[in-house]
Amino acid sequence: MEELKKNIVNKITGHFADAAVKAYDGNRVDFTVKKETIPAILFYLKDEMGYNHLSHISCVDWIEEKEFELIFILWSYTDHIKVFVHTRIDRENPVMDNIDMIWRQANTYEREIKEMYGIHFEGLEAPEEFLLEDWQDMPPMRRDFDTEAYARKTFWDRREARADAQDVRETITKRTGEELPDVAKKYTR
Amino acid sequence: MINDKESQKIVDIIQNFARKHSLWVLAYGTGCGAIEIPPTMTSRYDAERLGVRGAATPRQADVLLITGYLTTKTLKRVIRVYEQMQDPKYVIGFGSCTINGGMYFDSYNTIKALDRYLPVDVYINGCMPRPEAVLKGFAKLQELIQAGKADGSKKYKENLEWYRANQKEVIPVWRMPEFNW
Repeated sequence: MEELKKNIVNKITGHFADAAVKAYDGNRVDFTVKKETIPAILFYLKDEMGYNHLSHISCVDWIEEKEFELIFILWSYTDHIKVFVHTRIDRENPVMDNIDMIWRQANTYEREIKEMYGIHFEGLEAPEEFLLEDWQDMPPMRRDFDTEAYARKTFWDRREARADAQDVRETITKRTGEELPDVAKKYTR
Repeated sequence: MINDKESQKIVDIIQNFARKHSLWVLAYGTGCGAIEIPPTMTSRYDAERLGVRGAATPRQADVLLITGYLTTKTLKRVIRVYEQMQDPKYVIGFGSCTINGGMYFDSYNTIKALDRYLPVDVYINGCMPRPEAVLKGFAKLQELIQAGKADGSKKYKENLEWYRANQKEVIPVWRMPEFNW
């Protein structure tokens, strides 16, 4: 396992000058690369190293740093090692290379990320809508989207819960006259 | 003969008695509550002894169960389904999500109060309601039917404009016909 991992690190850092090892534990290796290198590194991992399974494309909104992080998660059936490829893109102008010619299933993940985060994948073949229908606001998974304010604005105001459902334990103790145990007191509101 | 009021009352009693013992529930689940329906239907709780059975299509069903959270996307389908059902028809709101949003109170795509969009005859609270609670809900619905108070579909027809306005508030692009029945 350790030798396999070292081999991966050596090969990747040897081939791609901007690839840096981010984390390295268990059966997983993380790399950070620049946005431009993504198609090349994924092609290399798939064709040369045998990482031919794309598990997922994940997205993180780093609002403080004004960046989106995209994470491509690959798996090898022969090595049993996960390879995570991280990249950061600009939050103001989120454009990314489309990789669905490498893996067909990437199309689904990219369409989801496009709708939920508003990241534009160049040349992505996708119909207008995927999960959200007739969505007119900003992409809802962005961190500056206030879901509660949106829900209050769009939907009927929330009904309050029943008065006796506010704290079940206290209601029961009042009714039965029992003393509340200390363990339970810690959790009562 | 059955045109006079006294005879109509007797006919209603017989009719309601027949209706309450033959509730065909549309086999359609929204959200997580549908998982409580199989235990309610199978041997342990055996809802069929109350006349509660599954129906395959909306046109054959009497009861529409809204089992749990309802997204605006599903609401479109539910409206079409409800309007295709034939009278007598009843709606049961199932779980706290249909009452006040439940744990999805701040979600951007689930409705918060079902009775603004469809006429609800019985609410079953709980998250999730257990099969006992579901049976209690059905028993309550039977009571209402016998008393002639389960008139949700009548309410819906009378206040259609109000319901439509509310529905169009959360469904901005209305691609359905104005009347589905």
